[in-house]
Amino acid sequence: MNPPDWTRHPPALTPGYFSSITRSPREGLIPLDPALADCTGPVFGAGDIGPMDSDLIRNAAQPGAMALGPRIIVHGRVLDEAGRGVSGALLELWQANAGGRYRHARDGYLAPLDPNFSGCGRVLTDADGGYRVETVMPGAYPFPNGPNAWRPAHIHFSVFGLAFAQRLVTQMYFEGDPMIRHCPIVATLPSAAAVEALTARYDPDHDRPMDARAFRFDIVLRGRRATPMAL
Amino acid sequence: MKQTPSQTAGPFLHIGMMPDPARGVRPLSPVMPADPVTLYGTLFDGEDAPMGDALIEMWQIGGIWARTATDDQGRWRLSAAKPGAVPFVSLWIIARGINTGLHTRLYFPDADWASDAAMARVPAARRSTLVASDTGDGAYRLDIRVGGAGETVFFDV
Ligand SMILES: [Fe+2]
Repeated sequence: MNPPDWTRHPPALTPGYFSSITRSPREGLIPLDPALADCTGPVFGAGDIGPMDSDLIRNAAQPGAMALGPRIIVHGRVLDEAGRGVSGALLELWQANAGGRYRHARDGYLAPLDPNFSGCGRVLTDADGGYRVETVMPGAYPFPNGPNAWRPAHIHFSVFGLAFAQRLVTQMYFEGDPMIRHCPIVATLPSAAAVEALTARYDPDHDRPMDARAFRFDIVLRGRRATPMAL
Repeated sequence: MKQTPSQTAGPFLHIGMMPDPARGVRPLSPVMPADPVTLYGTLFDGEDAPMGDALIEMWQIGGIWARTATDDQGRWRLSAAKPGAVPFVSLWIIARGINTGLHTRLYFPDADWASDAAMARVPAARRSTLVASDTGDGAYRLDIRVGGAGETVFFDV
């Protein structure tokens, strides 16, 4: 397994994001020799996914109802660092509703819940590493981090690749959102290129006309330290 | 191609990772060993406060996988296979405030952890942060400290 690329991932301690101050190891990570790397991990399959899991517009809705908000398609590929599609990767995603409110006991934001939206989805990548989900555009929401801090619209992703060492949790942002440059959590990223990599592009070629806009978000996991033959 | 950057899982990770089956998406099933032992402990932040909104995943040789959310007192509990030839289980911790998931290990006290190759890279004074204690009845306890005195060892896996 290639090592984590620390030019891409945020460091543990990022004082501008207050929660990191007490939740950041200070001793430094102990590097493991590549020979000690574990290239195994849990495997998930079609049996772990329900038929509605990738349709957040309807998977928590009353019969015949749909979630409120701008209808969107989020799609892309899961790849390794060599650009090969990762087939059978499991993506779990969660998000706020169109008003910026999470269906969670600890979210007290005053925007109302949507009775037809839970904000939970799941999808497996196909043979080429491709995935596609349908949802509504999440709203921005405030969070306690100084006098006035807001999250840009975002979708949380958890990714299982082929090895446990590839486990990734991240967030996807939307092209053109002015809140991105003000967000203390976005600002934990070490470079503008890293922010760019988390920003989904509007992709009109994949819109469903008169129905939903498409956004493209590719995810690159750590690859195997190997010749192309080895996979 | 360059790796997709990590971002914190935030405080609401339960929605996507521990979903309520009554709301449409069924939680992932753990892969349980035939003859399980219990692993448990408390997760603390760098000021000794329990972390009540974290998620811990476990991976063990033999395809054993499970996850749990910490409770409001930072407590966690998982089932693992009994210690065998490999003296540890891998753990991965995410939460609000953790920008990039933390990889650590739990070593079984009654296994040969002292000759493990990864343990050999850990300074001797910090090795005890990775070794659980046998609390009887097939249960092993390990408290995990993300910072502060007795900070747990985390690996750049
Ligand atoms: Fe969020």
